[in-house]
Amino acid sequence: MTDRLVGKTAVVTGGSRGIGRAIVDRFQSEGARVLTCGRGRRPTDLNDAVAWVTVDVSVSTAVEKLADTAQKTLGKVDILVNNAGIQIEKTVTDSTDDDWSALMDTNAKGVFLCCRAFIPIMAGTGGGSIVNLGSISGYHADPSMALYNASKAFVHGLTRSIAVDHGAEGVRCNAISPGWIMTDMADAAFDLADDPQAARDAALARHPVGRFGTPDDIASAALWLASDESSFATGQVFVIDGGLIAASPLQPGLF
Amino acid sequence: MTRDLQHAGRTAVVTGGSGGIGWAVCQRLQQEGARVFCGDLTPSTEPLPEDVSYIELDVTQEESIQALMQTVQAQTGRLDILVNAAGIEIEKTVEETSLADWNRIFAVNVTGTFLMSKQALSLIRVGGGGSIINFGSYDGFIADPGLAAYCATKGAVHALTRAMACDHGPENIRVNAICPGYIDTPMLRSFFGSSGDIASLEEEVRRVHPLRRYGTPQDVANLVNWLTSDEARYASGQLWILDGGLTAQAQQMQL
Repeated sequence: MTDRLVGKTAVVTGGSRGIGRAIVDRFQSEGARVLTCGRGRRPTDLNDAVAWVTVDVSVSTAVEKLADTAQKTLGKVDILVNNAGIQIEKTVTDSTDDDWSALMDTNAKGVFLCCRAFIPIMAGTGGGSIVNLGSISGYHADPSMALYNASKAFVHGLTRSIAVDHGAEGVRCNAISPGWIMTDMADAAFDLADDPQAARDAALARHPVGRFGTPDDIASAALWLASDESSFATGQVFVIDGGLIAASPLQPGLF
Repeated sequence: MTRDLQHAGRTAVVTGGSGGIGWAVCQRLQQEGARVFCGDLTPSTEPLPEDVSYIELDVTQEESIQALMQTVQAQTGRLDILVNAAGIEIEKTVEETSLADWNRIFAVNVTGTFLMSKQALSLIRVGGGGSIINFGSYDGFIADPGLAAYCATKGAVHALTRAMACDHGPENIRVNAICPGYIDTPMLRSFFGSSGDIASLEEEVRRVHPLRRYGTPQDVANLVNWLTSDEARYASGQLWILDGGLTAQAQQMQL
């Protein structure tokens, strides 16, 4: 299928690599006009048809400018994917004030600012679909990821509030909660282990589908939630994790 | 642009296929290229599309299920998609529910899901894996008044879904449950009818949904179609609430 977003426009934050890039590429190949952004310069390998804005989503004036640029470039915004996010691998006691600011400003405040800027644009054209990137870490804590875990729980909560407050304006809002997706961020998490390879093997054994996820797995879910096929879905956090959290962590076969 | 069919060459069995949601699922999977077997106690009153066959089926009777699987095996030799949509509702409190009521609703909603899945697994393995969709309900999370046994059956289906996803993930068999909210079906109309005036209730029900509408069987069929497609190949063991935002909202806080 290649035409599910024809006529639609999308803004995807954090599209330079990983999950964000997979979403950008998928939306573009399904016919959407896409604008993406990141803190750095336009990646050289980004599809020419995709617009790029250099922006820090944690700065409110910058996000207002982003919304303005998006509206001028795309004419309207039907889809917003809040994908930009960072992780800091620390416990609460190890985390500094600067860690808090860096992480919460991007993962929590950035999502808030983008939603605040784009909801009126969407509502003004009859509605739209917001897809936030949460995480299974918003439900179950990953060790040494205290602020990251908390920031994702914030995303899950905000998702419900936006759905409830803006549903009547035609704005749907859902979150995708990925499990272990093979990205640089996942590698960084495994590298925390004493034996990263053993940690990978142990994690893999806990996945009923027998593999880790790919950015494309998440892009597929984002596509469905962005499309009109999901027009009754709102206010939910959809887990895509290869069955990981459906299974008990205490499986005797693993020991 | 051309569009590849998502289920070309696949075989699907839909239980409760003559009912509101089941019938929409049969049509959707057929449109995506699947050969569909519609199992139910009686045929749909609507004409069957090409590539959809009606097979008389009582999901509470193992022989009836085995006969259906034999027909599928003889005709296509494989099974890729099983949708356990057969279900009934009994509008009673625990005190009003007779033991016969209780046994009957568990026989259809829970035992039927168990027996269908059990008898389908060997045929699903023929093609190297597949996808099973069970029908839970948002009533498996929060209760509707006067539906005690129904709520209990849906909770059982949710747990069974996770268990099956764990056990059969390694064979490339994904198992998910869809948990609809208010979907406009004969079952919902019966529930409204037992509670008073339908017209005023409908308005009230729309008002409590963030999207200001209730769902259609097509909304549910869209999700079945996505979850059974290759795009959802990393989704397993999850309960997919599709409810127009209903359960995202705390109902005591209507403004």
